[in-house]
Amino acid sequence: MHALEGVRLIDFGQYLAGPFGPMVIGDLGADVIKVEPVSGDGMRMAGGPFFGCQRGKRSLALDLKNPRGIEIALQLVERADIVHHNMTAGVAVRLGIGYEDCKAVKPDIVYCNTWAYGFEGPLAKFGGLDPLYQASAGLEYEQGPVREGNTPAYLRFGMTDTANAMLSVVGCLAALYHQRVTGEGQDLWTSLLDGGSMFASDALLVDGEAYPRPRLDKGQTGLDACYRLYETQEGWIQIAALSDAHWEALCGAVGAPELAADERFATRAARAENRKQLESLLEPRFATRTAIQWTRALDALGVPNEVAYDTKAGEYVLFDGDNERLGLVAEYDHALLGRMRQFGSLIDFSETPGLIHGPPPLVGEHTVEILEWLGYDAAQRDELRSERVVYWPDDDYPWTN
Amino acid sequence: MPGALHGVRVLDLSWGIAGPLGTLLLAEQGADVIKVEPPGGDPFREYSGYAVWNRSRRSVTVDLKQPAGADAFRKLSAGADVLVETFRPGVTERLGIGYDALHEINPRLVYLSCPAYPEGHRFAERPGYDALVQASSGQQWEQPGWRPGPIFLHMPMPSMGAMFLVPTGIITALIAREKTGRGQHVRTSLFQGALLYTTQIWSWVPGGGPAYYGTMAKTYPPGVHQEMIFEAAGGEYVHASIMSGLPPIKTQDAILGLPDASDPERYLMLSPEERAELTPKRRAAFKARKREELITEFRENNHAIEAIESMEVALGANGAAHPQLVANDMIATVDDPELGPTTQVGVPIHLSATPGAIQGPRPLPGQHNREIFGELGYSDAEIASFTGRGADAQDKGGE
Repeated sequence: MHALEGVRLIDFGQYLAGPFGPMVIGDLGADVIKVEPVSGDGMRMAGGPFFGCQRGKRSLALDLKNPRGIEIALQLVERADIVHHNMTAGVAVRLGIGYEDCKAVKPDIVYCNTWAYGFEGPLAKFGGLDPLYQASAGLEYEQGPVREGNTPAYLRFGMTDTANAMLSVVGCLAALYHQRVTGEGQDLWTSLLDGGSMFASDALLVDGEAYPRPRLDKGQTGLDACYRLYETQEGWIQIAALSDAHWEALCGAVGAPELAADERFATRAARAENRKQLESLLEPRFATRTAIQWTRALDALGVPNEVAYDTKAGEYVLFDGDNERLGLVAEYDHALLGRMRQFGSLIDFSETPGLIHGPPPLVGEHTVEILEWLGYDAAQRDELRSERVVYWPDDDYPWTN
Repeated sequence: MPGALHGVRVLDLSWGIAGPLGTLLLAEQGADVIKVEPPGGDPFREYSGYAVWNRSRRSVTVDLKQPAGADAFRKLSAGADVLVETFRPGVTERLGIGYDALHEINPRLVYLSCPAYPEGHRFAERPGYDALVQASSGQQWEQPGWRPGPIFLHMPMPSMGAMFLVPTGIITALIAREKTGRGQHVRTSLFQGALLYTTQIWSWVPGGGPAYYGTMAKTYPPGVHQEMIFEAAGGEYVHASIMSGLPPIKTQDAILGLPDASDPERYLMLSPEERAELTPKRRAAFKARKREELITEFRENNHAIEAIESMEVALGANGAAHPQLVANDMIATVDDPELGPTTQVGVPIHLSATPGAIQGPRPLPGQHNREIFGELGYSDAEIASFTGRGADAQDKGGE
C-alpha cells in the first residue's frame, strides 16, 4: 500500500504555486487529475519550471467556461477527496466550482485555494508572482543586503511558490486527517505572502523594536567570520566553526594556533564583534590551498566544513550515484522530450512508500480514460471533443511538451 | 474549536530550525506538542528565531543518557502518536530510543527522523549545519550575486525546505495509520529540503535546449525578476510585478510618464535589445518618484507592487504593519516568558471549520515536567532525578 493510496485530488490550478502542491501529494501515492484548459496550461511555454510542478498527474483537458465542462468537473469532484487550485478572487465561484458547488456534490470535500495575497483584505484582488513576496518578506532586502549598500537580490529558486504550495499540502493533509477522523470536510487557503513570511519567521519585534538576528555581509559570504564561505586557491569552502572547540581547531588548521589565545577572538561574541579583523587574518590563509585540500585539513581537525559544489545546474546531483541509489532522483520517459530527471523521493516511509507515477502529462493525455471512467461512451466523447468541451492529443498536437 | 489535528500528541526531540518549525505547523493546527529537551534546554536557544519556532508547545527536560531518563521517555512515547528527531543517523539507537525499540512499545507511533543527510548517503556522518548543506547540495552556486562564485543564502534554505517535509510526512503517516492501524518510520533530511527548492530550476531533459531551460536560468546580469527591482527616490526600492491577473487601467509606463507607454505584461516578452533600450528609461522614471506615491498609483491602476524592506518593517517596526499580513491575521502578539511582549508571524494555514491558532509562547525548558511526568505516575523526587533539577522549581517557570 502506498501512503496516500485511495486519495484522489482534482487540480484545477495553473502556473506554479497551485500545481506544485498537488504534485507533492501525488508523489505520496494519491491519484491527481490535472484539469487544464483545452488550450493547455498557461505555463507550458515556460519549459523547466512548468515540468518541475507536474509529474505523475493525469491530464484532462476541459473547458471550464462551458456548462458541460463544469458538469464533468463536478462529476470528478464527486469522486474526489481534495479540490486544489490557485484561481484569483471570484473566478472559481463564477465558473461554478467554488467550495459551495463542490460541497453540494461531495459534502466532505477538502477544498483548497492558494492565493497570491490572501482570501480577503486590501490587496486580495491581486494575483502576483513569487518576486513580490520575496520583497514583502524582506528576503530580497536581506540577500542584497540593502543595509550594506547593495541592490536587493532576488533569490532565483521561486521559493515563495514552493512555500505556498507546501503550506497547502500541510493544510490539505491536516484537513483530510480531520475528515478521516470526524467525517467533516472544509475549505482552506494559503498564500504566497504568508508563505514568504515563514522564511523570515525568525524576525520579531520586542516592544515594537526589531530584535537582533543574523545579517549577511556586503560580500554575501555569510553570517560571521566562522560561519561563511571563503575563497581558496581553487574553489570556495563553507565553514561552520560555531563552538569554542571548533574555533580552536580552526586556528590549528589554518596554521595560526596563536589566534586561539588572542583576546579579540576569545568568545563567539568577541569573534562577532571583531569580525572584520578576524576575516582579514583568515582570508589570505584560505587563499593558499585549494578547497579540496582545505576540506581534508579541516576534517582532520574536526572543523565542520563543506566544499561549495558547483553542480553544473544540478546535473551532478541528478546523476550522483548515492542520490540515485537512495531514490533522491527520479527518471521517467516523456512522450515528446524523452528521458526526464528531477528530484525523487523527498520523504521516505518504511511501511507505506510514496509513488512517483511518471512524467508530466501531455495536454489531455488522459481525457479518454477519465471520460470512460465517468461513463461517457465513445460517441459522447467524440461529440464533446468536436464541440471543444474536451481535448485529447492526436496527430496535430500543437504543443512542444 | 479544537484544531484539525486535535488529539494527536507529538514528542519533539528536535533542535535547530526544521524540526521546531515543522512541529509548529502541527501544533498550531491543534496537535499537542511536547518539546523534549536535555537538562538545561535545547542548545539552540540562542537562535534569533527560537522564541517563534518553539512556541505553541509544552516542554519537559529529560536526561536521556541516564537509564531512568531514557525509561521515562519510553513511557512517555508509549502514549504518543508522533516522535520527531533530528540527530545524526544512529544516535537515537545508542540512547535506546531508536525506531525499532519504540515501535515495539508503541506500534502506532509515527517516528520521523530528519538528519542533515539521508541514512546511507556518503555525507551521512558529516556535520549538518544549514549552510554546510547549502554548500554540499549545490544551492550556493545556483544563486547569482554581486561577485562571482557561490553566494551564501541568508534564508536558511535546506532547513526551510525540511520544515515543510516534516509535517507533510507526519500527517501522511497518520492518514495511512487510519487504514493500517500501524505507525511507521518516516525519514527526510535537510538535503531533501534543499532539493525541494530545485523544483523550478533542476528538471533535466536530454534535448532541453534554451527554450526549456531559459525561464529560470542563472544568468549575468540576472534575469527578468531581478530586473523588475527598481530604486525610487531617496534610495528606497520596490519590486514591480510583471503580471497581476487584473486588467491594467493605466500601463506601468504611462504611470511613469514614459512617452512609449508599453504594455507591462509585454515586458516579459521583450527581446534583450528592446529591454536594454527601455530599462534605463524606466529606471530613471522610478528614481524620480517617491516610493509611497508609486505604490499607491500602481495599485490604483491594478498593478501589484511591493516595497523592498526587511521583515521587521513588514511586522510594523517603523509604523504600520503590512496591511495584507494584518488582514491575513499574520501579525501576532505573543507574550514571551523571557522577552516580554513580542510581535511575530502568525499562523499561515487558514482552515475554515477547524481554524488554527497560536497555543501560547515558547515554554521555558522543563516548564511542564511535573504536569507531564506526574500524569505518568512519577513522584516529584523521581522527576527531579532524571530531569536535571527540582520539579517544584520547574513548574514555577523553569530555568
